[in-house]
Amino acid sequence: MPMFQPSRKDGIVGFEGGGDGRILDLDTAVKDGVLGGVPVGGYGGGVGEKLDLKKMIEELNLGEVPSVFICPISLEPMQDPVTLCTGQTYERSNILKWFSLGHYTCPTTMQELWDDTLTPNNTLYHLTYTWFSQKYVQMKKRSQDAEGRASELLTNLKKVKGQARIQTLKELHQLVVSHSTARKTVVDEGGISLLSSLLGPFTSYAVGSEVIAILVNLALSSESKTNLMQPAKVSSIVDILNEGSVETKVNCVRLIETLMEEKDFRTEIVSSHSLLVALMRLVRDKRHPVGHLPGLGLLKLICSHKQVRSLIVSIGAIPQLLELIPILGPDCVELALFILDVLSSVPEGRQALKDCSNTIPTLVKLLMRISESCTDYALSILCSVCKLSPEECSLIAVDAGLAAKLLLVIQSGCSPVLKQRAAELLKLCSLNYSDTIFISKCKLTRTIQ
Amino acid sequence: MGLLCSRQRHNQADSEENEQTAEIDRRIEQETKAEKHIQKLLLLGAGDSGKSTIFKQIKLLFQSGFDEAELKGYIPVIHANVYQTIKILHDGSKELSQNLADSSKFMVSDENKQIGEKLSEIGGRLDYPRLTKELAHEIETLWRDNAIQETYSRGNELQVPDCAHYFMENLQRLSDADYVPTKEDVLYARVRTTGVVEIQFSPVGENKKSGEVYRLFDVGGQKNERRKWIHLFEGVTAVIFCAAISEYDQTLFEDDNKNRMMETKELFEWVLKQPCFEKTSFMLFLNKFDLFEKKVLKVPLNVCAWFKDYQPVSTGKQEIEHAYEFVKKKFEELYFQSTAPDRVDRVFKIYRTSALDQKLVKKTFKLVDETLRRRNLFEAGLL
Repeated sequence: MPMFQPSRKDGIVGFEGGGDGRILDLDTAVKDGVLGGVPVGGYGGGVGEKLDLKKMIEELNLGEVPSVFICPISLEPMQDPVTLCTGQTYERSNILKWFSLGHYTCPTTMQELWDDTLTPNNTLYHLTYTWFSQKYVQMKKRSQDAEGRASELLTNLKKVKGQARIQTLKELHQLVVSHSTARKTVVDEGGISLLSSLLGPFTSYAVGSEVIAILVNLALSSESKTNLMQPAKVSSIVDILNEGSVETKVNCVRLIETLMEEKDFRTEIVSSHSLLVALMRLVRDKRHPVGHLPGLGLLKLICSHKQVRSLIVSIGAIPQLLELIPILGPDCVELALFILDVLSSVPEGRQALKDCSNTIPTLVKLLMRISESCTDYALSILCSVCKLSPEECSLIAVDAGLAAKLLLVIQSGCSPVLKQRAAELLKLCSLNYSDTIFISKCKLTRTIQ
Repeated sequence: MGLLCSRQRHNQADSEENEQTAEIDRRIEQETKAEKHIQKLLLLGAGDSGKSTIFKQIKLLFQSGFDEAELKGYIPVIHANVYQTIKILHDGSKELSQNLADSSKFMVSDENKQIGEKLSEIGGRLDYPRLTKELAHEIETLWRDNAIQETYSRGNELQVPDCAHYFMENLQRLSDADYVPTKEDVLYARVRTTGVVEIQFSPVGENKKSGEVYRLFDVGGQKNERRKWIHLFEGVTAVIFCAAISEYDQTLFEDDNKNRMMETKELFEWVLKQPCFEKTSFMLFLNKFDLFEKKVLKVPLNVCAWFKDYQPVSTGKQEIEHAYEFVKKKFEELYFQSTAPDRVDRVFKIYRTSALDQKLVKKTFKLVDETLRRRNLFEAGLL
């Protein structure tokens, strides 16, 4: 069936043939079974009842659908295509909405309509339905294959060791990432406890990294999370966090976060030097910035456990975070500041912040730079530090241009709480200066501007 | 003409010498290159921590093991261990019977008293007699005496070696006229390591592909003058530090008043701080887990000052795991406290071992190998 192909110079959209400008000829159409003349593999048997087009479109969620099937108004596949007198086809509900807004033109050709009849385009509907059905059946078969294969792999996993085990795990990983049916199979057939049993004091990196990569894709039950919280298993996760590639480290981070969501989570699990040092290593790895956000996210989560805060400070996290801030993106900076703010709530944290020479200059620079939250946290930290030793710190701070920034905050549209805090800090700083000198310090210098 | 002749001879000798020198230089260069690829591992740890057992295990696993002559070479050592053990037990029972309220428990029965004295005398000699069936029988009789069994249960207060039980239960076999020690016997045999011993080996993988060549050094365990020779090991790839976690209730051989675990703690700290190990990977083997398992349910961890804040949480297997995790964490803490910030990136891993279990040692070593190989790749920028 040759498709009408108007000349391009008319600038008509949506009529470029089967996605690639080909004329859909009869032979090809029959061979591909698109016309429904030839039963497509599994079509007759596998798909029993009449499939709902809407359901198929949703389930498939395909990115590349032939443009002829797409409604020019909504850019979605058409489920009830109707053709206007101009020969253009639209989704019925969309074109009706267009009319209801008072337009009596064809949206794409801009022509005024001489006839408001909507002709159901049965041909197009049939083609759309057939195309989607084919895709759907193919997808179902692949899923089933994935299901079957996943089941096979799990059985294998119980038997094999060494290199064979690693290969099995790698293949299972691929399946689980690409097919929801594979994921379901693994969960249903006790795959989670099987995989967890592979983690322990004698787990090699090769095996452990694959196991963790698979587990983060699965929905873990409360029981399986508790199982994973056993010290020996946590140890092996931490070891892998320590020595893995950045993708593997991110997987470990995600897994630990999942475990931390559990109600019975015991703080002592994360109260570990090895874990925190490994996490900080991920956070400050300048060669792999993709690890910063996940790493900081987990660190933030861990900070919410009060008992761990001084441990985090003791491993030198504060100077490391401060050094890192200048190169981080905005999301990461916000997390880093949040963490520093939380850490400033413990005495060791405040001391470490004060001791670090970077603290005040870095924080002053960040005020009013990134977001209100960042300013909020930075101010809070500055307050804690300055209160610790007001004379010394306010001198440094004012020299770094704090006063001018505080004035900015006070004059800005920030929340009243923030302004209040800025005002208090300003007062604290001004105590050490005479009025005239202080006012001169409040002027915005070129560098801050 | 004579002048010409002699000059020629002179040149010939010269060029021969040059050639030899060149050859030697070439050989030195080749060997230095080869040396660079050999990863050196240093076994460290307090006395009785199990270093030498690990050493023997590696020999058994990755080299040709012990041949019959080597095995037979251990017979005098094993027999010596037997005599030493029974003497310690006998003398120990006397000591305990004098000092304690329930002293009668430790008094050897009358019929065995004479045997006891005889064996104690033999055990005190410099040269031991060969273990005959007769002597073995006497030793067994004394071993079965209630007083000796009671003394054995208090073994941690005396210096009863860990191999005691094993050898005492195998006396029949050990005293056979044509006794050839088994691999297990050799692993249990105790001899104080003096000086340095080394072996070179390659852990052969599944595909029989080896790759890494390792040279393992075992250094004597006692305290003397450690600081004098430690710097000779600068540049080793990794230190394998053995700590026997079952000895938290025992005292040193050299110093009855010093707790063994505290000694290990101090030694570990000392080693970590040595400048020569700045970039060295540390593999901590928490050894003698099999003995730890049995002991920890009976003897609380807090008898050792380092573990005084330990709180038991449950019983049985769970408690053992909990106690082990506690000890592990203590060592971790110690590591990070003793490690300057600029050294924090060196590899540090903890392994649970029972050096006498060959399968376990093999598994453990495979993991050590994996970690060291990954580290090499990482340092070469390939990871």
